[in-house]
Amino acid sequence: MAEEKPDIATLVDEAAKAIGLPIAAEYRDKVIVNYQRSLAIAKPLLDLDLDDELSPAPVFRP
Amino acid sequence: MTDPLSKQATAGDIARAVMSGKAKAADVIAATLKRIDASEPTVNAFTDVVALRAMKRAREIDQGLHRGPLVGVPFAVKNLFDIQGLPTRAGSKINVDGPKAPRDGALVRKLEAAGAILVGGLNMGEYAYDFTGENAHYGPSCNPHDPTRMSGGSSGGSGAAVAAGEVPLALGSDTNGSIRVPSSLCGLFGLKPTYGRLSRAGSFPFVDAFDHLGPIARSVEDLALSFDAMQGWDPDDPVCTDRPAVPTLPELNEGIDGLRIAIAGDYFARGGEAVAFEAVATVAKALGATKTVTIPHAAAARAAAYVITAVEGSQLHLPRLRERPQDFDPDTRERFMAGALLPGSWYVKAQRFRRQYRAALQKLFGEVDIILAPATPCPAPKLGQVMMTLDGVELPVRANLGIYTQPISFVGLPVVVAPLQKPGALPIGVQLIANHWNEAAALRVARHLEKTGVASALPA
Repeated sequence: MAEEKPDIATLVDEAAKAIGLPIAAEYRDKVIVNYQRSLAIAKPLLDLDLDDELSPAPVFRP
Repeated sequence: MTDPLSKQATAGDIARAVMSGKAKAADVIAATLKRIDASEPTVNAFTDVVALRAMKRAREIDQGLHRGPLVGVPFAVKNLFDIQGLPTRAGSKINVDGPKAPRDGALVRKLEAAGAILVGGLNMGEYAYDFTGENAHYGPSCNPHDPTRMSGGSSGGSGAAVAAGEVPLALGSDTNGSIRVPSSLCGLFGLKPTYGRLSRAGSFPFVDAFDHLGPIARSVEDLALSFDAMQGWDPDDPVCTDRPAVPTLPELNEGIDGLRIAIAGDYFARGGEAVAFEAVATVAKALGATKTVTIPHAAAARAAAYVITAVEGSQLHLPRLRERPQDFDPDTRERFMAGALLPGSWYVKAQRFRRQYRAALQKLFGEVDIILAPATPCPAPKLGQVMMTLDGVELPVRANLGIYTQPISFVGLPVVVAPLQKPGALPIGVQLIANHWNEAAALRVARHLEKTGVASALPA
């Protein structure tokens, strides 16, 4: 099955609303480009399978 | 002996001259300030020069009030280090409206306690989210080897000031490569210590998970002198180690006997210009290293470092992105905004993968002591250059100058950059990567390369 491509423009608009980050019209296109770039750069990480037992690296020591 | 008042003088040269009474600290500082005045129109390395403070300190040294292994040595710091009485710019316009630092950052205090003299704050990429040394507010710091080219970032002013011979020693920060990239592009020795080795107290943060501070210099001795002076536990930085300090100067000249040295293959042997791999081959040959090792999942490590950086950095700046977006550098603003919107699951996966990757590297360091890798995929790009072609693929300069440094700082390994210079060519650096807490081994290898003339960092 071919992967369905996300609509990054909508994602950016809605996620920005959800966290209360106003993105002015003049910045919007570059934010979308940067989000798309992040998707491409993150791919080698997102493609990996990790063991369930693997705990995150930072350890909080009270 | 090198004239301690000349731009060629190293920190070690100056300290020995002042210590022995052959030079006055006040004369060293006067010569330094004169050089800064002469070079700044070309390199734009400084944002703040603290001339009165430096001269006062120098006169006190000449009166015998301060001593130490760095006595009389002028140094400058990336402007994310607190300097008492100045706002901590961190490359931004916004922070200038903030409070003035009540006291110097921890490492500034440590270097001055060792006799060194702060002369100013240095230009940098805004909020350290940068590999170029460009800055929309303060102008780019330019590469002294060719001022039409980038210094590298984000510690661009640190690289430019040392390579121009304005100061022998500068401090920078390195989250993903910001000491190592300018060291490579400006042809300098740079040390990114083990994560947690040096206190970050009194410096403006970027990504707590990866932020490191360290020195840039023109000699390996100067890296060791300053690193040794800066080591030690600091309760003001929760990440700073309480391990005992390990002085590196005493064994600096012990050579490379007994060290197992290998070349990083796979990810680190592709995606760059031929000159980057030729530099690694030259260093490997000089060290007699023939074994190649594979750092597993290095591409995923780079991806994970990118994700953690984007998420942590953006979260830090979210209030400023909401309130003063127009005051950000256009080259960081939209990257921070996009980072603020990335899924939380990516971040947690990156942190879980980080543990797996750290274990793999620790296993690898059971077999070798030093791993060689390119520091940057190319020599200094032109100022303003947006795209570059690597391995036939067109890529953004800004995100890709750190492709070989990011997978290493991701797990906090110590690295020394050894610079290679050829007449008529731009310099480029090689990473000498050691196991956690073993800065001494990387410095020994760098010193061997310096002594044998393979690596050198003469001022431009």
